[in-house]
Amino acid sequence: MKKPAYLLLFPGALFLAVFMVVPIATIILSTFANDGSVSLAGYTSFFTDSYTLGILGTTLKISLISTLICILLGYPTAYYISRTSVSRRGIYLALAIFPLLTSAIVRSFSWMVTLGKTGLINTLLLQLHVIDKPLQILYTETSIIIGMVHLFLPLMIISLIGVMENIDGDLMQAAASLGASRFKAFVKVVLPLSIPGLLVGSTLVLVGSLTAYATPQLLGGKKRVLATLLFQNTMTLNDWKAASIIATIMIAITFLLIGVMNALAKKLNPNG
Amino acid sequence: MALIELKNITVAYDQKHNILENFNLSVEEGEFVSLLGPSGCGKTTTLRLIAGFNEAKDGQFLFKGQDYTKVPVHKRAFGFVFQSHALFPHLSVYDNVAFGLKLRKTDAKQIRTKVMDILEAVNLKGFENRYPSQLSGGQRQRVAIARSLVIQPDLLLFDEPLSSLDANLRVQMRMEIRRIQQELKVTTVYVSHDQEECFSISDKVAIMNKGVIEQLDTPPLIYKKPKTEFVARFVGFENILPMTGSGEGAAPLKAKDGTPFVVEGAAGMKGTVKCAIRPDDIRIAKDGEERGADNSTAGRIQVTTYLGRGYQYVVETAIGEFLVNSHGEAPFGHGETVRLDFPPDKLVPVD
Repeated sequence: MKKPAYLLLFPGALFLAVFMVVPIATIILSTFANDGSVSLAGYTSFFTDSYTLGILGTTLKISLISTLICILLGYPTAYYISRTSVSRRGIYLALAIFPLLTSAIVRSFSWMVTLGKTGLINTLLLQLHVIDKPLQILYTETSIIIGMVHLFLPLMIISLIGVMENIDGDLMQAAASLGASRFKAFVKVVLPLSIPGLLVGSTLVLVGSLTAYATPQLLGGKKRVLATLLFQNTMTLNDWKAASIIATIMIAITFLLIGVMNALAKKLNPNG
Repeated sequence: MALIELKNITVAYDQKHNILENFNLSVEEGEFVSLLGPSGCGKTTTLRLIAGFNEAKDGQFLFKGQDYTKVPVHKRAFGFVFQSHALFPHLSVYDNVAFGLKLRKTDAKQIRTKVMDILEAVNLKGFENRYPSQLSGGQRQRVAIARSLVIQPDLLLFDEPLSSLDANLRVQMRMEIRRIQQELKVTTVYVSHDQEECFSISDKVAIMNKGVIEQLDTPPLIYKKPKTEFVARFVGFENILPMTGSGEGAAPLKAKDGTPFVVEGAAGMKGTVKCAIRPDDIRIAKDGEERGADNSTAGRIQVTTYLGRGYQYVVETAIGEFLVNSHGEAPFGHGETVRLDFPPDKLVPVD
């Protein structure tokens, strides 16, 4: 008799259950416990404290801006790569993915060297007399965003190329033969057909930058985001309950975002 | 004046190799012309050049006497039906068909009437809300045709539109294409490598080989009187018989062993004359039966194969090997000697 195929899932599922589902459930449950009774006190204080709310806002803002920049930079790049010949595409794709092969920490350090007061950009601008005192770029939201875009742009490009490659070249020619200029054909055919890739890429970048730790820690200076606030609560303040609440909120936001993206994907599904 | 005219067109696909060289073609208004030939003969290149997808390195493309060589695709108003159908997967049947009309800023009411009319013409009424992924191959093809017809194109171009369909559907669809074309009287250029398909629906067929049109004629003329050896072989004249003509009036041609051959239309031909004949047109009989001295030769059966409606033989003779079909019941056996007869009106002199 044939054994049910789902048994193949068992080892992986067991591993995830023991080392992921149980710990996360424990963390989430612990945030509702208050001296033996169930309470939402931790959450009310998080959502009423202007300091933590500010950090939540900063985190969302940085993630959204990073995602937007990734779309703006990644879309034309991906479109160009997807239209080149197969052999060239491989080379371009490898180049696009290349940054992923370096650790986020190493990359953040290189940005510190580049953006700092005596860094490459400030030195250059000073010598060209464009500015007369160094710009504060490092340790601002801007530097975090730069780091995030650098970190996540490859994900956006890969997601987009995956979808764009499968857009039949005949479609553009068909549109042209029906009277569409290149621009019109792009807007009416390529854009709607690449939306699934855009949504997948945006989800990856958004969730990635919402939860990134190393980049904001190294490039953000005193600027806090949720991930660094969480770290501060555990390691510096030893407030594990507050940290668990932040963790739970981050999980909730992530699921919410994925849900919204899925709903959008369903609504905008190019195949009806 | 011809509706479209290609004059001395040269198309190259890299620096060195030309696909078309000094290519000429003209199509009259309302005509259905097919370009037929083996793959790599340049037929699709010609079609794409007319559409504007390919650019000519040299030469001129005239449309209604105007120079269209450099006019971009989207300003040509030629309908193009792709082999892959190229339907927009994110649009419904209705929106696919309405695509060209919307670009022309037609008002919504008129779009609705036109789209519904054309969908009715291609028997797709009731399918307007479906998406391409929910249609069969034949239905998709009809949407593609409707989409390019609804803009009332000056010219309709087909690039092997039926090759992705199964055999039964192909026959049905080609009748449909012909019906629609005749109904709307739209000038059509059609590319295919399927001989039967081209012959059945075209007013004229251009047989292409290596970037050159070998013959442009009506299908019956090509079928009966091919002009070149390539065309002859392409349309099923599998036997080519080389002979010599004396150049004198009505004197028969001579095969290499001296046998005289009377060939219709070969009077006065001088030097080497190749004559083509179909396997079906050579008469095969037992050796020894009484035959005239002309147009006849003795041979020996090499191979016998069964075709269903009859038998096919490879016969070796003093003047070459021939492929012969017979409808007779009792087949000749291997090695049997036979007599082959070549009717004068079935031998066609070719270049």
